[in-house]
Amino acid sequence: MTVVAVPAAAANLPVPAADLTPIVLPTGAPVPGPTPGRPRRGTATIGALLLVTADAMVLAALVATYLAIKSGSSAWPPVGVRVSTYPPTMISITAIMSAFSVQWAVYSTRRQDSRNAAIAMILTLFLGAAMANLEWLSFTRTGFGVRAHPYGTLYYLLIGYHLVHLVLAVIMGLVLAFRTMAGHFSNDRHDPLRAGAVVWQYGNVVWFVVLTTLFLLSRHG
Amino acid sequence: MAVTDTETEAELDATAVEGGSGHGRPADVLPPVWANGTDHKYIGSLFVFVALVFLVVGAALALVMRAQLTSADADVVGARTYAQLFTMHGTFSVFLFLLPVWLGLGSAIVPLQVGAARIAFPRLHAMSFWVFVIGGAMVAAAPAVSDVFSGWALGSPIPEKLGVRGNGPDFLILGLALVCLAAVLVSVNILVTILQLRAPGLTLRRVPLFSWSMLVSGAVMILALPILIGAFLMLFVDRHYGASLFSGYTGGRGGNPLVWPRLFWFGAYPFLWALLIPALGAVSQIVATFAGRRLFSHDRAAAVLGAVGILAFAGWGSEVRTLERARPMFIVGALVILAPVALLVLNWLATLRLADKESPDRSGLRRGLGQAPMLWALGMLPVLALGLAAAVVSALDAGRDAHTNYWQAGQQHALYFGAATIGAVAAINFWGPKLWGRRLSETLAKLEVLAIVGGTLLTVLGMLALGVQDMATHLPTYASDDGWGPANLAVTAGAAVMGLGLLLLVADLLVSIVLQKGLQAGPDPWGGQTLEWATPSPPPPHNFDALPEIRSATPLLDLRTAQAGTAQSSVDQPQGAAR
Repeated sequence: MTVVAVPAAAANLPVPAADLTPIVLPTGAPVPGPTPGRPRRGTATIGALLLVTADAMVLAALVATYLAIKSGSSAWPPVGVRVSTYPPTMISITAIMSAFSVQWAVYSTRRQDSRNAAIAMILTLFLGAAMANLEWLSFTRTGFGVRAHPYGTLYYLLIGYHLVHLVLAVIMGLVLAFRTMAGHFSNDRHDPLRAGAVVWQYGNVVWFVVLTTLFLLSRHG
Repeated sequence: MAVTDTETEAELDATAVEGGSGHGRPADVLPPVWANGTDHKYIGSLFVFVALVFLVVGAALALVMRAQLTSADADVVGARTYAQLFTMHGTFSVFLFLLPVWLGLGSAIVPLQVGAARIAFPRLHAMSFWVFVIGGAMVAAAPAVSDVFSGWALGSPIPEKLGVRGNGPDFLILGLALVCLAAVLVSVNILVTILQLRAPGLTLRRVPLFSWSMLVSGAVMILALPILIGAFLMLFVDRHYGASLFSGYTGGRGGNPLVWPRLFWFGAYPFLWALLIPALGAVSQIVATFAGRRLFSHDRAAAVLGAVGILAFAGWGSEVRTLERARPMFIVGALVILAPVALLVLNWLATLRLADKESPDRSGLRRGLGQAPMLWALGMLPVLALGLAAAVVSALDAGRDAHTNYWQAGQQHALYFGAATIGAVAAINFWGPKLWGRRLSETLAKLEVLAIVGGTLLTVLGMLALGVQDMATHLPTYASDDGWGPANLAVTAGAAVMGLGLLLLVADLLVSIVLQKGLQAGPDPWGGQTLEWATPSPPPPHNFDALPEIRSATPLLDLRTAQAGTAQSSVDQPQGAAR
């Protein structure tokens, strides 16, 4: 790159500037300009962080509505409503396991160990599917519908919000698992995998927020 | 070509592995946009195009409303139709014009301004556009499905489902959720582009003010719009599946009707400011460019833009009628945010004053002031000033438990809609030549500014007068002994003048840009100061062949100053390029 294509002055410049034809330094040498910006390392991870920030605000709206309606209700959950605490307990344990397994995948990739990375990714996907299964189970055993009462609506919305994330994260994880096995990631170049881990860990954060809101702050059993 | 010889092997690898189709393309020939086009300038231009279509539709709706309100006891449209027009006019203006016009200009211009070869996630960007189109189509289709009359804030009838049958509102709600989703995705894209793809030497402090304002506005949208998405989600479940989150105690099913307005305005109030912030950033750059000098203080302008972004979250309660105890807090919040905006205006005025002092015969400045983008920027000033003044009064009145009267409408039409729209048109005049290679007509611009700014001022003053007379905004008609006739006539006259101006603008865009009859822009038609002017218009798919050295927020101005220094012996010192 020796020729620098910076503008010739237009006739109608508001500033009657000097002749701008060649953009050169006072020495007469062409401008030694920088190269145009391209994605640096960590771009996908930063994108994922911003995305989950936005996503957390959706969750915040749901939780705020839950708390506002709860604070104005005399009985919460409504009289006669009993939900099993077995699925949330198991989901919590599974979520903690998946938090470690997804980090295992990143750790192995960083150490150029693609075999362990692939095993970790598959384990993570398995744990994700297990959580989705438990959530579906908890949906089928509630005994109330979406429209029964605000508690029921928000029960389905909050757990469903995590379920939707789980499904999307499992699809994302599948792609990342295949890419891991195809050798797309190396010790110094695995930004998409790290971004995927951020999204996965965010999913776990969502679960514990949901758990706190729905179960820990309400009386059950 | 997207690959220069200065790139390392590793970067080439990165393009091969992570690039995929679309943006790692070796040739300058991009596919047509409907077939996998991912170029940020294509997609951005499409956003702007769609926005302008909705601007025309929204304006047409407003003109029908004004026809109804021009005289007392008019019967142009029925009350039901009027309520629908009222809703769709607001929705189109906010969600389908102001939002996409900034998303489009931002995503098209920001990568150029920060010296990036592309936007951070090109395919995500293309997807956001198509999500937006689907959402916008659903919103536009809503009144055709069934009656939609809730105001753009989706007020009372929708949550309570009173008298609203049919799926129209559901279309509206889901469409708006998709529109918000698209806006969040574009904002993430723009933010990551600014944070990660800046050219070497362009530190965050040196990011040009329009890009900076998109950074601030994008951050506000990332925090505020998801609240709306969550709220829309719950509203949809309420309406479509018969839940009762917002539907009140009336049915004894335990919902809370007070939550809806709080949730909505918690997201929508910062969102409205996020639509004004890019206008402030764009005008900051336009003022500096046509003054032919640096802005009075780039750092302070950046700081106050950031302050507007943060304070945008302080006043949301001023729009909610049921927050009696918290009222003083939100009054302060709604007032405090006006200070940084006023400071920014002072920054612009100081820039012009300095430019005036520095040029002995003032010819350069005078020529700069007469050019189309600067005319629009100057036209924004009275509207913004009127909006700020009116906002002080309505802030003091914030959260009062009374009906919304026309004072608030006037203030919003000046501050959020008027100033932001005029700023957007200024930006289109300024950066349109860069994106599309042709300039808009200078002659028509003078008429357009006169009509649109004059019309806006007349409309807003009329609305403020109606506010003093305490006319409520939702009224579809009034009696002749209410005494609201003259002011309503003024509002209608202003709207009609604005409509004419808009017609001129659309004709201008069609002839100059679409039919390519405008003046050739050349790489730098305005004596620009930032990097986007250092590449041909329209820019090549890889944006830049080379960049000048970046040592400040205005690298091209530095370059011109440096050259003027060397040319000093033979040529007169250029006036604008002061040291």
